[in-house]
Amino acid sequence: MGETDIEALARDVRIHLFRETAATAKIPQAPQISRALGRSEPDVRAALHQLAAGKVLILAPNDGNIWAANPFCAVPSGFRVRAAGKKYWGICIWDALGIAAALGADAIVTTTCGDCGDVMTLEVRDGRLARSEGIVHFAIPAHHWWDNIGFT
Amino acid sequence: MLLFRDEEHIDRWCQPRDLVRGETISPEQTWRLAHAWYKDKLKPDWRRHTLEETEALLRSLGLTSAFWNLRD
Repeated sequence: MGETDIEALARDVRIHLFRETAATAKIPQAPQISRALGRSEPDVRAALHQLAAGKVLILAPNDGNIWAANPFCAVPSGFRVRAAGKKYWGICIWDALGIAAALGADAIVTTTCGDCGDVMTLEVRDGRLARSEGIVHFAIPAHHWWDNIGFT
Repeated sequence: MLLFRDEEHIDRWCQPRDLVRGETISPEQTWRLAHAWYKDKLKPDWRRHTLEETEALLRSLGLTSAFWNLRD
């Protein structure tokens, strides 16, 4: 597959992936994307690698599966988002609120204090942060966010 | 990026991890950041923000210290 073909496929994969995730609250992996788009799995994986290189999504280091199609996380995390009658997960508080933004939906974000573990809740309603508590801490300077995005 | 009850809880989290304390922003700033960053992510013509656009976004939120510098 040529570079132009991979770029075109990466666009198709991106559009399918995010639409499907928004609609189902489940991130499809390469085999499902391959079937949905009628493209070979190696081609889809090549497209996913290109999307990861462009920081559109994050692949898990061990098996190459999609870990996060930001703002959506593929696995349960410490940041749960209830929106549009579904349960989504984000990898951090920025992404959890980003799910409400991406969906354009009201949302309730539930997480815990990073220190004491107390449950904390933020709520987005009508495009505004309607309820909030606490304070958000960025441990890593902005220039180094992508050095280790899992920790960031 | 984690949410904490208050500043004291951030210090308690940093100390045992030998982490230098980073920067804090309010949930409202975080919402504005998240909204600007992700509101178009599901759209077919979405594209990643440029460096200049990201810098402008951070500036608009008052995030202007060296901590928020995106360049080398």
